[in-house]
Amino acid sequence: MKSHAYHIRPAEVARLLGGLLPAPIVFAGVMWLGALSGILPAPWPALDVDRTILVHQAQASQSPADADVLFIGDSSCLMDVAGVKLEQALAEKHHVLNLGTFMYVGFGGYSAMLSRYADANPGRLRTVVVLVHPEMLRGMDAPAYYRRFLSDFYAGADLREPDSVHGQLCGVFGLNIFQDRFLGRAPLPLPKEWARFYGFNLDLYQFMNRERGSAVDPHQYAAGPGQGNAEYHLAPALQDQCRALRAALPPSARVVVGLAPVPESFAPPDHASRCQRILAQWAEWVGADGVLASLPMSMPDRFFASTTHLNAAGRLAYSELLARELQPQLEAAANKHPPYKAADEK
Amino acid sequence: MLFNSTVFLQFFAAFLLLYFLCRNSLTGRNLLIVAGSWVFYGWWNYRFLALLIFSGCFDFCLGRWLGSTVDDRKRKALVVMSVVANLSLLGFFKYYDFFVGSMNALLARMHVAVPLHALGIILPVGISFYTFQSLSYVIDVYRRQVPPTPNLLQYLAYVSFFPQLVAGPIQRGHHLLPQLQQTLNIRPEMLAEGLWLIIWGLCKKVVIADNLAPLVEMVFDNPAIAGPVIGLGALAFAFQIYGDFSGYSDVARGLAKMLGFDLAENFNLPYFATDLREFWRRWHISLSTWLRDYLYISLGGNREGSRRTAVNVLITMLLGGLWHGAAWNFILWGGWHGLGLLVTRWWQRRFPGRLPAWLSLPATFLFVLYGWLLFRAGSFARIHALTASLTDWSAPVWLLHYAVSLVLIVTPLVVIEIWQKRSQNLLAPLAAPWWLRHALQGLLCLGLLLFWEVKSLPFIYFQF
Repeated sequence: MKSHAYHIRPAEVARLLGGLLPAPIVFAGVMWLGALSGILPAPWPALDVDRTILVHQAQASQSPADADVLFIGDSSCLMDVAGVKLEQALAEKHHVLNLGTFMYVGFGGYSAMLSRYADANPGRLRTVVVLVHPEMLRGMDAPAYYRRFLSDFYAGADLREPDSVHGQLCGVFGLNIFQDRFLGRAPLPLPKEWARFYGFNLDLYQFMNRERGSAVDPHQYAAGPGQGNAEYHLAPALQDQCRALRAALPPSARVVVGLAPVPESFAPPDHASRCQRILAQWAEWVGADGVLASLPMSMPDRFFASTTHLNAAGRLAYSELLARELQPQLEAAANKHPPYKAADEK
Repeated sequence: MLFNSTVFLQFFAAFLLLYFLCRNSLTGRNLLIVAGSWVFYGWWNYRFLALLIFSGCFDFCLGRWLGSTVDDRKRKALVVMSVVANLSLLGFFKYYDFFVGSMNALLARMHVAVPLHALGIILPVGISFYTFQSLSYVIDVYRRQVPPTPNLLQYLAYVSFFPQLVAGPIQRGHHLLPQLQQTLNIRPEMLAEGLWLIIWGLCKKVVIADNLAPLVEMVFDNPAIAGPVIGLGALAFAFQIYGDFSGYSDVARGLAKMLGFDLAENFNLPYFATDLREFWRRWHISLSTWLRDYLYISLGGNREGSRRTAVNVLITMLLGGLWHGAAWNFILWGGWHGLGLLVTRWWQRRFPGRLPAWLSLPATFLFVLYGWLLFRAGSFARIHALTASLTDWSAPVWLLHYAVSLVLIVTPLVVIEIWQKRSQNLLAPLAAPWWLRHALQGLLCLGLLLFWEVKSLPFIYFQF
């Protein structure tokens, strides 16, 4: 007995499937032409936590600002320094901007951000504080995706997706352009704890605006095994990158370096002395004018969100200590250069 | 294997090719359906295939035995045997740990320290669906509504037909079995219909439900949340579960159409219902008709007075709630709907004139919405906390973003459903002018491509 019969011609199948194509082709044409002609809004791929933060910091680094103290570094810098609290602790005499990134973009990325800031705000910059977690000084490579993300954002180019079939199809049909230029501007919910603390990507962006570029890690640290190796070291490969970072800054800017703390239960007994050695060597490579040597290299566990980030309470406590440690450095910068006046911009 | 995964698309493409090749043999086709369905099911966990095969073979044998027996007592014993076997299977895998947990809680309250041990049983995906489908066949044979099938292969194809195997729609023997026994004619309009159902079903899942999932989690997984957001969260969940489940059903029907089969509808614009009885005629139709035909009517239905009817409605809805999952909140959800149905019956008898739709539709929707809160909350403590927070009208700073996000995601679904409702045709987009039809399908494909996840989110009803 015959199972099933097809009462359909190949042309009908072709028409059925071919009918799916015209709309995507028109859409792709509109997106590509719009992007090439500059009619579409500029790329703004604030699609999740890490990319929203990177978009914010990249945008902040190339916008006119009033900050004379600039923080740059990895996610520890982003989360551990509370911008507003620090300004208050500095008796509102200085304006702070935190350009720390959630995803590590490497010293090359930080150099690019600093030179953008210096170009956008000529004569404004007095002090640059480079604050990183000792983990970053092991010399790990910054993920290529985020390095490219930063350079594409500065170039006003759309993000190139990884070379998967799906990514390529999205590229051909202009969906990457749509995603970068429209979807990133829509309210997109953040995941889990991030959503509870911030809400949406747009709320995180606004929070960072209010907090002078700083953010809060909403998690709570739980000590336990398998959280990594705290025996840090300074990778020789970083030496050239550190020099390049210094070269990206105007000579008038003072560079101060510091290391972020780790939870007490995570730190080995020689952690403080080891970090001091790393800090001294690293400061020499950067050509630092000052070192935040008295900042704690470890703090009580209750102040942490993870081994690399302080939590909401921890960042406030740490920022108090940071202000105290930073004060003499800022006074040195003020002695070296007269206070900033609006006329400097000319 | 999930419909919304690339591996399934590859599987189905290969299946279609083989299906074409065996078009001249009914046995070959049914063999291919069984083999393909087992690969589809075994992809998730091949060890549970044994359950599916056992359930199918057992009920096939009972069906044949019932067909050859005229003695009513013996027939009754056979059908009871099927009910006991199928429900035992379901009970063990789905409810054993729940029973143990509840007993332990009860014993602890009575200060009796005899803890029973939970087994941490993994729920075989789709077990609630295929046991009900197989059971319905035996009951139908017992009631002489369906002749027993003499062909094991056809029966196994009926029980394990992969488009509807893991989340329905639950098919009745009289609807699907004859299709497995005859030559099917695949016409252009069936392919067009199938393609539309697959694209639209996947969009409901991938574009709408999966994008609503984080909005729902924001509310239901957040211990401190206020009234306006809970309302929006319940709304988001109402559309998430609808998009997820009706999307699955649409894809199932679309896949079957491509193979020349017709599966019964599972959803018919349920949120346009103007009373709760209508809602249950439109929501998860295959389950609600199953419960009506095999449980409610078996309990006596509405034939034994209003009190007995009320009890029957409540039992049916409580068990319907329990069918969804081994947790008290599902039973509470069933009870909520059961009470709602009783109030609806009473109201419609007391005040025969229908309420205007502008009043009854939102009232019904609000009732259903609170039901979804019970369904999603997860525990009594959470239900209590969420319900108490409904009166707290403070709003988080992201409330506006939540509302905008919800509207943006839900709008395509609402627009297309209004179109279907106004034209009284669930396939209204296929009746549109060619350019509009093609443009709509093309844009929906773009939406699918945009949100097609590398790691696909499972369908909600897989857990039931």
